[in-house]
Amino acid sequence: MSGGRRLDEVDRQIVARLSEDARISNRQIAAELGVTEGTVRARVKRMEAEKQIRITAITNIDRFRQGALAWIWIEVERSHQIQDVARELALISELGFVGEMLGRSDILAITMVRSNEHLAEFVHQRVSGIPGVRRTESTLGVNFVKHDYRMARIVS
Amino acid sequence: MSHSAQRQDAAAQIELDYTYHRIIALLRADGRLPYRSIARELGLTEATVRARVRRLEESRTMRVVAVTDIEAAGYGMLLAIGVQVENRSPEEVARELAAVPEVFSVNVVVGAQDLEILMVAEDQAALHRLLQERIATMAGVRRLTPSLAVNVLKNQPDWVPFHEGEAL
Repeated sequence: MSGGRRLDEVDRQIVARLSEDARISNRQIAAELGVTEGTVRARVKRMEAEKQIRITAITNIDRFRQGALAWIWIEVERSHQIQDVARELALISELGFVGEMLGRSDILAITMVRSNEHLAEFVHQRVSGIPGVRRTESTLGVNFVKHDYRMARIVS
Repeated sequence: MSHSAQRQDAAAQIELDYTYHRIIALLRADGRLPYRSIARELGLTEATVRARVRRLEESRTMRVVAVTDIEAAGYGMLLAIGVQVENRSPEEVARELAAVPEVFSVNVVVGAQDLEILMVAEDQAALHRLLQERIATMAGVRRLTPSLAVNVLKNQPDWVPFHEGEAL
C-alpha cells in the first residue's frame, strides 16, 4: 500500500497515550515522555493531517440502543462494477465499514441493526437497489465480543 | 484505573439529554476540541462542560481516543474471516480469538459461519503464521473462510462494545 505512512517510535509513544485518553494535555504527554510540548503538538498535528491517526469520541453501544452487527456480503453483476457499487455503499451513513474484498464475495458492508426484520428492510431498501448489485448474503451477529477501537483504516 | 464498581453505579444513573448528545457530536468531529470552544458553542460554562465530559467517561458511555490507521501502525493486510467451530462453544472460541492482538473484531453470528472476525497482519508471511500457527490450531476451530480487503472505502464504527479488548 502507500508508503511513508508509518509511525516512528516517538509517534507510537504519543499515540499509545492518546489511545487511552485523548483529552490529556500536550504538556502532560510531553512531561511523561521527556520531550517538549512543541514536539508533541507538532507530531499530533502531523499525524492527524496525514490521516495516521484520528482523534474522536467513541460511544459504548450498550448505552445507546439494542443493536446487533450485521455483515452484508455483496456480489455484483460484472466485476468492473465493484468500485462503483462500493462507492455508493460508502455514502450510506448507517454503514460503518465498506470494503472491496477478494475471496468470499466482492464487497463487505457492516452495519448495526435492531433485529432480523430491520436487517431485511435495510438490505432491501438501501442495498439491493444499487445498480450492479446481483445478490447479497447477510449474517446477523448475536454477541459482539471484541472491537479494538484503536485500529481502523482511516480514509476520510 | 480500577474503580469499576463506582463506574457501574455512574452508568446506571446517567441520562443522555440533548446537551450530552451535542457534546458527543462535537467531540466525534474533533476529539481535541478545547473545553472552552465546546462551552462557547453550546452556551455553557467551561466547568459545566468539563463535568459533563467526565460524567460521560465515568459512566462508560463515551471515551475520546486516538484511533490509529492500521497501515500507519505497520499492518499491510486486513481480512474478514468466517470461522466454523466444532466440539466447543463458539463463545469460548470467540474469547480466545479476542486475546489475539491482530484480531481486532470478534462477533458470534448465526448462519453458515459461527464467528466473523476482522484481522490485520503485517505482510503475507505474518498472515500465514497467524492463520496456521495461531488460529487454525485453536481448540474448536474447524474451518477458516478468509477474505482479503483490497480497498477499504469506509471504516468508522462509532459503535463499539467497551466490555472487552480495551486499553484500560
